[in-house]
Amino acid sequence: MKITASNCEFKISPSPVSGEGKGEGLREPPIRIDRRKRVILWTCLLSVLGLSAIPGVGRPQNGPQVGQKPAPAVGSEAIPFELKTLDGKVVGLETFHGRPLVMNFFASWCDPCREEMPLLNQLASKSNKDGYAILGIAVEDTRAAVMQYVAEAKLVFPIALDLNSTVKRAYRIFGPPATFFIDSRGIVQDIVIGPMTPERGREGLKKAGVAR
Amino acid sequence: MKTQIRRSVLVPLALCLALAAYHAAANDPAGTDASKALNFGPEQSLGRGNKNPAAPFLRFAPDGRLFAVWTEADDRAVPPTNPAHQHESTMRRMTSPMRIAVLASSSDGGKSWSPAKQVNTGIEAVQADENGPKVAFNADKKAFVVWSIPGEKGDITRANIRFAMEDGKGGFTPAQTLNEVKDAGRFPIIETMPDGNLLIAWIDRRIDNPKPRQLYLMKLDSQGHALTKNYQVGEGLCECCKLGIAFADNGKTVYMVDREVDDNKVRNHVLRKSGDGGKTFAAPVEISNDGWQVPSCPHSGPSIGRDKRGYLHVSWFTQGRSESEAGIYYSVSKDGGKTFAPRTMIHANTAPETLYNNLVVGDDDRVYFAWSNIDSNNRAQVYIRTLAADGRTWSPIQQVSNAKGNAGRPALALLKNRLYVAWPETDGEQSRVVLRSATLGK
Repeated sequence: MKITASNCEFKISPSPVSGEGKGEGLREPPIRIDRRKRVILWTCLLSVLGLSAIPGVGRPQNGPQVGQKPAPAVGSEAIPFELKTLDGKVVGLETFHGRPLVMNFFASWCDPCREEMPLLNQLASKSNKDGYAILGIAVEDTRAAVMQYVAEAKLVFPIALDLNSTVKRAYRIFGPPATFFIDSRGIVQDIVIGPMTPERGREGLKKAGVAR
Repeated sequence: MKTQIRRSVLVPLALCLALAAYHAAANDPAGTDASKALNFGPEQSLGRGNKNPAAPFLRFAPDGRLFAVWTEADDRAVPPTNPAHQHESTMRRMTSPMRIAVLASSSDGGKSWSPAKQVNTGIEAVQADENGPKVAFNADKKAFVVWSIPGEKGDITRANIRFAMEDGKGGFTPAQTLNEVKDAGRFPIIETMPDGNLLIAWIDRRIDNPKPRQLYLMKLDSQGHALTKNYQVGEGLCECCKLGIAFADNGKTVYMVDREVDDNKVRNHVLRKSGDGGKTFAAPVEISNDGWQVPSCPHSGPSIGRDKRGYLHVSWFTQGRSESEAGIYYSVSKDGGKTFAPRTMIHANTAPETLYNNLVVGDDDRVYFAWSNIDSNNRAQVYIRTLAADGRTWSPIQQVSNAKGNAGRPALALLKNRLYVAWPETDGEQSRVVLRSATLGK
């Protein structure tokens, strides 16, 4: 039997069972604790109680903590999803299977997203020739605002609506923009948080296996 | 011997179990008093359900009426001159981005509401979310409303600040644009100063270099006439976050909070103080060095309130220096904004998500916080808790929404012994505005 309290360890060793007579065997085996160990146990418990009294120390917050769910880190498989595009088509990772995918999370109200969009549009115009795909995923937005923006910015790649933020949360996006470069096997090869630059775009495509 | 064993083992074990139970029950920081939980009434929906109401803001008029302003879809035709619509054919159907701002009031503490009045008569895309409309009142109970609309080319980020007020005939004056440089302002707030004039503030981007995003103000009289031109009082603001404001000394002192972004994209929150009624502001004071470095756009601004003792209470969202620090935080300044206490976490992020917060301060110096966070079903919900005047005793965290999709950006209003919280809920392409209230204990 081992009891662990905080980082203090205290062992209780069972003594040999005594009194093998009738009825005695049903009793708990007697336990002997020497004075030194009792002191250690009480010290541990009081330490834990003392720490508990300090505001915020050791107190769990409501619900699961950030970090419990694995992020789609570089080298890991992209998380499958299914969304609808602006024109109503169902789209997901499977849609692009076998081709590298540049997946960009954006919002119509987001300044840095607007800064990078011309570059993404440029990449999209070359994507067919170079054998990769681009998908925009609008987050924290409305269909109307996204449609307005797509028209305004003349975006030439498909846009999916993540209206309930499910994909955004799965990909751990605190705020747009964020871009994932996914290779043809569905492995995340690069992630850009914040606005894309031409250099990062080239690097991401290269890592995702796009030969240009 | 047996007694000794019992004492030696059972007592510490009982303490262990008690401690474990305590930890399991404690969902929040120290000093929680479960008896301070608020008893909320049922949900009410504001606005026309088929018009996707969104972005509520609450405020009491001087006569005690509760007002709510929010946005709704505008079914009127999209102006044909809007160049953004020439690519309409590329999509299956063009949902109109045009929305109206509406205002309604309740004279019975939110039980019943007047018919909602349309504030803006023109066809325009009144913005919502972090950038929703706001209302203020003067002593004559006249309502003044500000909102934001996209710029000429439909760009939400290069927008305009609009203003209208009650015309005394049951309607509103024609909207006027307040920013003198076109397509430069958004995230407006409006406050009535103690002298009856109006102070309007917004985030402006008329100058994008070298320091982007300035804090601009202007003053209007109660007839809507400009008392000042637009004037800049700060720069380097985070571009997508609401502002907070509080007054002291009968309007002579103005406190503003915003999120700053430095050259390294570190986003900390600051307090700006004016001692001359908002004409000039001292250098900003950092509320907390959170060190949140992020090049993207987490649009969630801070909130501020001032209590009767003059303490300034501030809440905000930050991710801090790692995801494990992410959450809603609180700090207080007891010296008029010179210094702030070390931050206290109100609620940790339960998922990677930017959270939205708000606060109000009661006459008894109790602070009421509302914010969004993610529940166990991966849906954003609105939560509430309070901090007693002693600065130590917190009420338990209470979930007040039960959204099927996501709830967020709560608005708060407090009058005497009743607290009101409103929030928008979205589920797919549908949205609604929800209101709940609670009677406050003594």
